[in-house]
Amino acid sequence: MNDHRDPPEIPLEPFPVHPQESPFPPLYESLPPGPADPHSDWNQNADAHDLPTRENRLAALGRFAFPPAPPLDDEGIAARDRRWTSRTIVVVTAFLLVFNAVSPLNWSRQQAPSWLQGTVQQMSEVWVGQLAVFGVDIPRQGAREVWMALREARFVGQEPAPPAP
Amino acid sequence: MLFPTLAFGVFFLFVYFTAWSLDRENGRRKLFLLLASWFFYAQWDWRFVALLIFSAVLNWGVGALIARAREQDGKTAWLVGLGGAANLLILGFFKYYGFFIEQAGDLLMRFGWERDLPLLQIVLPVGISFFTFQGISYVVDVHRGKTPPAKSLLDVMLLMSFFPHLVAGPIVRASDLLPQFDRAPRLTRAMATHGLLLIVWGLFKKTVIASELSVNLVDPVFFDPSAYGAFDIAAAVYGYAVQIYCDFSAYSDMAIGIAALLGYSFPRNFDQPYRASSMQSFWRRWHISLSSWLRDYLYVPLGGGRKGLAASCINVFITMVLGGLWHGAAWTFLAWGALHGGVQVIERLGRAVFGDRKVIPTVIGVLVTFHIVCLGWILFRAETFELAMAMLQGLGRIGPVTALTPLLLTLIVGGLAMHWLPSRAIEGVAERLKAAPSITLGLLIGAAFLLIEAVRPDGVAPFIYFQF
Repeated sequence: MNDHRDPPEIPLEPFPVHPQESPFPPLYESLPPGPADPHSDWNQNADAHDLPTRENRLAALGRFAFPPAPPLDDEGIAARDRRWTSRTIVVVTAFLLVFNAVSPLNWSRQQAPSWLQGTVQQMSEVWVGQLAVFGVDIPRQGAREVWMALREARFVGQEPAPPAP
Repeated sequence: MLFPTLAFGVFFLFVYFTAWSLDRENGRRKLFLLLASWFFYAQWDWRFVALLIFSAVLNWGVGALIARAREQDGKTAWLVGLGGAANLLILGFFKYYGFFIEQAGDLLMRFGWERDLPLLQIVLPVGISFFTFQGISYVVDVHRGKTPPAKSLLDVMLLMSFFPHLVAGPIVRASDLLPQFDRAPRLTRAMATHGLLLIVWGLFKKTVIASELSVNLVDPVFFDPSAYGAFDIAAAVYGYAVQIYCDFSAYSDMAIGIAALLGYSFPRNFDQPYRASSMQSFWRRWHISLSSWLRDYLYVPLGGGRKGLAASCINVFITMVLGGLWHGAAWTFLAWGALHGGVQVIERLGRAVFGDRKVIPTVIGVLVTFHIVCLGWILFRAETFELAMAMLQGLGRIGPVTALTPLLLTLIVGGLAMHWLPSRAIEGVAERLKAAPSITLGLLIGAAFLLIEAVRPDGVAPFIYFQF
């Protein structure tokens, strides 16, 4: 091997005379020209600080321990209102079971004898008796007495009310 | 099962919580409400549930046939006639058969052609007039294109059977309720508060005012007017005016409130009727669902006011007479309808002469209208003309006051005074209370219930309009 080129008279044969196809993609320069670039929308006056930036969730927390929940949708509001109504109805029912406990007892006494009637009556009697210890029947009884007094009131000169049976 | 009873309270609590637990499945929710409604209706007579089902299938079928006929040849009038006639046949058989057979027998006897006519002891199904009118309105509305035919038989069945309005109205039309059945209902605080207040207010009107007046004043005086003087009889007439308003409007209020708690909205049925200054105005405030039904399905098809003053007067008179007959198969109801129709005819004639000029001051108009209405209530309450005449004659008989007491007088005055409250008072209170915590509202409503329970008489009489 030396620094001189091989003399041209030396035949290349039997070596291949056509270059083999390269296994690499063609060079960029060798490609045909593509379509022109679209018109640039570069805005010289734009400020890079105006562009939206990705929120750092940890930074957004700030003084909060955890991020606030998103606002309720319609379904959530409806469910909340429904729960509120149900709670109200439960409170009314519980209130009446305590302060108007005599009502199931009165009801059971007006029914024809049956297993249900007997059960309700016995349970009601115990319930009413237990609650009477705490005086929860006083408001109802007081209102009834006032009402009965109003019922028995008569105009001047009118005959008094007949005695209650 | 009456609204102001413990049994209904337990039933409603079960329906409320079960219905809302089926919130996400509208079809099953509707099916549950339908079954609950049938159970509610079966408490009167389970056999008539079959009538309810038959009536619903009939109207649903006619509605479907109308929709199909419209797509094919467009001729639907005969189907409407068929549907209307079938509904009226059901109503006529159960409600008017006995009346007409009795009248026919009397007529034949007068001409000497006495016959043994087939008298049947027919039990009147509760609320038949209401669900039959609903069926007719569904068929006619589908024919008129005001409402599309129901998407399923279930919807029509629930429309006609829904327990809050089933036995005494209000007459809820298909166009009001079917769109609400399409989607799962929503419950807002405003609806719930309004509903609860209406139930409490209705309960007070029915069990305290109406019951007290009925038991201690109206029933004894109407039973034997000859035993009472003019003051007692006048008080009984005014008392009945208050009683029937407090009774019927209480049912409507409770029905609207119960439906609201289940997420459905019903139309208003009363709007302070005794402050009306004319009979026309009275019918725009009293039993609004019936008066608007009569207007849309009877007065307008008769020609309404399109064919001149004379035809308009005849049509309104016929409408009111038939409206009277709707209330019951008796001559007194016909006379009551004729009285209301006659006064409306006079008012129309007056407007034709004087135009829109205000001839009578409003106060005088209110007083005159109220007393004509009271005169009508005598016919309405008395079972016979003889009894009605005895009541009228008694108004001229001065005697000691025995039946009227200070409490009853207060209830009468209060029952009339409530007509001069702000016209949307309940809505106004509901708007303020809807922001309250549930426990506060619960305690307030509970205390109101307790007060009513403490003063109400033992037991509860059926609502007056159940018989219609």
